[in-house]
Amino acid sequence: MSKRLERALACETPDQVPFLPAIYEHKGWFVGATPSQVARDAHLLTTALLAEYERVQPDALTIGIDVYNVEAEAVGCTVTYYDGDDTSVPAIRSDGAVFQGSQDVTSLKLPDPRKDGRMPLNLEVASSIVKILGKEIPIRGALSGPFSMAAHLAGPEKLFLLAMIQPALVKDLMNFSSSVIKRYGQAFVELGCGVVLFDSHASPELLSPEMYRDLVLPATQSVVHHFHQLGVAHVPLIIGGNTTKILDSYIETGANNILCDTKSDPKQFVERCSKARKAFRRNINSSDFLEVSAEEAYRRALNDLEGSNRYPGFILGSQVLPYGTPLSHLAAMREAIQEYKL
Amino acid sequence: MKELQDLAQLLEQGHVQKVTELTQKLVDSGQSPQLILNDGLIAGMAVVGEKMRNGEMYLPEVLQSASAMHASLKILRPHLVLEGAQSRGKILMGTVKGDMHDIGKNLVGIMLQGAGFDIIDLGLNVPPQKFIDGINTHQPDILGLSAMLTTTMLNMKTTLDAIAEAGLRSKVKVIIGGAPVSQKFADEIGADGYARDAVLAVDKIKQLLGATA
Repeated sequence: MSKRLERALACETPDQVPFLPAIYEHKGWFVGATPSQVARDAHLLTTALLAEYERVQPDALTIGIDVYNVEAEAVGCTVTYYDGDDTSVPAIRSDGAVFQGSQDVTSLKLPDPRKDGRMPLNLEVASSIVKILGKEIPIRGALSGPFSMAAHLAGPEKLFLLAMIQPALVKDLMNFSSSVIKRYGQAFVELGCGVVLFDSHASPELLSPEMYRDLVLPATQSVVHHFHQLGVAHVPLIIGGNTTKILDSYIETGANNILCDTKSDPKQFVERCSKARKAFRRNINSSDFLEVSAEEAYRRALNDLEGSNRYPGFILGSQVLPYGTPLSHLAAMREAIQEYKL
Repeated sequence: MKELQDLAQLLEQGHVQKVTELTQKLVDSGQSPQLILNDGLIAGMAVVGEKMRNGEMYLPEVLQSASAMHASLKILRPHLVLEGAQSRGKILMGTVKGDMHDIGKNLVGIMLQGAGFDIIDLGLNVPPQKFIDGINTHQPDILGLSAMLTTTMLNMKTTLDAIAEAGLRSKVKVIIGGAPVSQKFADEIGADGYARDAVLAVDKIKQLLGATA
């Protein structure tokens, strides 16, 4: 692992703030392919990751394009891909759920990461990237968080309703999702990768802090603990939206690199993460990067860096970058980091 | 009236069965369906919207209240038709092409229904032509476009351009919403309005309809 990121994750002051922009569908742009093409082609995805490393110079690479879909697809959900030059992001249809609510959770198929869906493709890419770049940069396999995966299996609205009327069933589904995630993640770990969990369906923009604590936290703790047991020291957990309201639970997940998204309060994160010795990634607002100038990207990056109060566990990132985001904007963010003295 | 207040409260609390039973009881007792709608369902959903805005209610609770509202409307609708009740307006809505997210859009639909509007939901991943067909068929007062991704928000402009090309832009007011969009973006693409959340969408639509009246 790069010393810079390792030090930040240990909450020890690094030489400069680590840079982790969220590049998923945008990976395709580096190789002139659409997200749907890259998501289904191991060679294209490998080439795209190498291009990302070369051109963006992030402090870690993440294997994955449509990061919330892979596990649910392997269980049986249908992903919509787009033909031709359509750069829409592949997604699971909310009406294509495989869990209808009445069936026993145990009837769902536990996928084999070596055989089912696109899990083997992502593992093949991870293997290649680890061989090429493993000594230079941390490589992490993208994993869906347990609540987000359950949302795809049941359909988001059904899961939210079940959370009200049948919480025990939701917990069963969460346990099933956790089993899938642990298995898939373990396959990444065996290749020499780390993992990163994404669970934005559990954001307090949608789910109450009480429900997060009751329904999501135990399953998440179990998943994070599993990877710690496998020797993965650093398990990032990404939850978008304003997570300030669930910050205590978020810290209690055991993840040691959490997300302070654009709407979250960085002061609260600095204060509470420093007590818990947790690193956090601050997302700058990048939703309009296709419209604003590189100077504006620089200004926003500097503004968030200054808001970090020089917290040693601070990492600068972005929201998911739009397909086609100019490299100049990423260079501007990096420039702000380089000029900001720790 | 006490029973209508009870209905509003039960709706807010998401008691599907009790709301169904009380609605049926009120209809059977000859209560005006329009009054049940206004003072029971709309009043109850207004509280739901307010609590959601204040962070006192979250999506699961709102969906539960919506289930209760739908159960009640199922009983009320035939009686409202017979009574010749007037809708507050017709809203055509959908998530733009390439976008499979519909939680936000559905939430807006719930709040609009709860405020007494008629909703025609075209679903998700809706191509521009389907919106054009929808405008021609349903002649809505408002078109609502939703997008959750920075990539797909650009299809809002594509949709508006196609509607303008079809000569329909002046026939409908357009409001947009979704995580990546903003008032600035709405202005840039020529939408008539933007709303940050489902509750504000209802306010904005009321305002837009007032402006057209």
